[in-house]
Amino acid sequence: MTNKKKIFIYLLMLILLVIVMFLFSLMYGSSKISFVEILKIFFGSVDNNNEDIVVIIKQIRLPRTIMACIVGSGLAVSGCVFQAILKNPLADPFTLGISGGAALGVAIAFVFGLSSITNFFIPFCAFVGMNISVIIVYLVSVRKKFVSKTMILSGVVVSYVFSSAVMLLFTLSPSNNVQTAFVWLMGDFSNFDERMLPFITIVVSVGIIILSLLGNVINTVCLNDEKSKTFGINIEKNITFLFFTASIITAATVSVCGIIGFVGLIIPHAMRKIVGTNNMFLIPASAFFGAFFLPLCDTLSRVLFSPVLIPIGVITNIIGGFFFVCLLLKSEGIHIK
Amino acid sequence: MIHINNVSVNYLGKKILKNISCDINKKDFLGVIGKSGVGKSTLLKVLCKLIKPNSGSIFIDCKNINCFSRTNFAKIVSFLPQYVDTSLSFNVFEFIMFGRYPYMNALKIPSGEDCVIVKKIMDFLRITNLSQRKINELSGGEKQKILIAQVLAQETEVIVFDEPNSHLDIGSQNNILEILRDLNENYNKTIILTLHDLNIASEFCNRLVLLENGSICSQGHPKEVLNYVNIERVYNTTVIIKTNPISNKPYVIPVSKQQK
Repeated sequence: MTNKKKIFIYLLMLILLVIVMFLFSLMYGSSKISFVEILKIFFGSVDNNNEDIVVIIKQIRLPRTIMACIVGSGLAVSGCVFQAILKNPLADPFTLGISGGAALGVAIAFVFGLSSITNFFIPFCAFVGMNISVIIVYLVSVRKKFVSKTMILSGVVVSYVFSSAVMLLFTLSPSNNVQTAFVWLMGDFSNFDERMLPFITIVVSVGIIILSLLGNVINTVCLNDEKSKTFGINIEKNITFLFFTASIITAATVSVCGIIGFVGLIIPHAMRKIVGTNNMFLIPASAFFGAFFLPLCDTLSRVLFSPVLIPIGVITNIIGGFFFVCLLLKSEGIHIK
Repeated sequence: MIHINNVSVNYLGKKILKNISCDINKKDFLGVIGKSGVGKSTLLKVLCKLIKPNSGSIFIDCKNINCFSRTNFAKIVSFLPQYVDTSLSFNVFEFIMFGRYPYMNALKIPSGEDCVIVKKIMDFLRITNLSQRKINELSGGEKQKILIAQVLAQETEVIVFDEPNSHLDIGSQNNILEILRDLNENYNKTIILTLHDLNIASEFCNRLVLLENGSICSQGHPKEVLNYVNIERVYNTTVIIKTNPISNKPYVIPVSKQQK
């Protein structure tokens, strides 16, 4: 079918973009390293006097770029899934209160000085906090048979309650802890722990592969509930599974690099414009585009005002917003879901 | 073939259906009529296993419908609800393919056979030219055909429609009902539907069930059900019943109060 061919060409183009972006991200930064040198570092022999470059590439830029790719695709895919199960175009990975849970976990860790115990404790606390908020939203939703309005409302309420708890904690604690917790939450690639990389990579990529294979199941979830039931589909079971898979992906990304907004909202929309609503193609396309978009923003954040590093959230919002307005104006209106 | 035995449904403390009993034979074209809110849709949903009755039971081929798994039931009975969300920008082929879900594996990836069946159905309904169009860009009549195609893709013996021709012009209405009649006569499908238009019900159905306040007021051939005593009582209005000179079936003309 011509339609399918077209989509495969788009997907191939996206993969190419990701590879090009990956190399770009390795080349540019506060010091520029040429393409040939990068190839030498990975495949050939390196001159001894170039050891600085090896350190920059292998220990700083490579993990950072991989992390940006993984986080970008993870957020894009879970945004896609949340928009489908909530049947709402404004949903993103943080709609259901994940950010509130993460904030509370991190706040508790910093305020009580748990961060000094071990470096892994902050991500761990964030992860636990997120899971608590996700489980609360789930328990409310399951009683209301996953009606999307109740799910969104309970998510928003949980978020508010958790952020108020964070505020309470901050007002009662010394100020320097508050500052570090806030910076952590803003979303940043500059100081994540490299040892977390394999764990996050595995969790997010397994999650993305599962969701990509389930594209057709996700499709049914966005139909009318009654109609899906007559196709013999167990909607509640499917939503539960998708909800937890997407939440775990989001939680994994947030626990290493904080809350990066906007990626999970605009990438699914942008891809929907290009490959259509069918989640079979939308999920992989979003994953690839996320893996292109976040390294791009990260590189820009390093290069634009170097040596000053801009928080990545600022870049994603500006570029994303500009790009999205262009998309909106170009076509006659968004088709949602 | 279908045996509805003493079914009652309560919703929010109100009795929606009271002791409904009814037999539906194979190859019936059964119309359910009655005032709005009388329980027509509820009856269909009970029949399609979407609502559990508070008492009573339903048997298909002597087997209680609660004994069917959801997937197996979807291979026997298909249902087109009054409202289906068609705002999604799926293309027509993908959308009809949803009807093949009961036959697919856990990952729901369509097989070659599924594609062949969907194409055959699109040929049958003459909508092959719409195949790559987006469903949210189609007209009401076209959408209704796509939804029927989706239901047909389920390849079930029993097909249940909840007001298949509401919001359509008279041409599209007849078109849709002719398709259903063709399915009933030439493909041995058992068709159960609710209708508001009594004349269409009389013209196309071979059996009617008239509901009043959650129980059956009258059932049988249109000639037996559609008499002015029944209609005036159930609908609380004044009508004249005539006979259609071509099909020899009754038709109902409303009378305004001024004329009386």
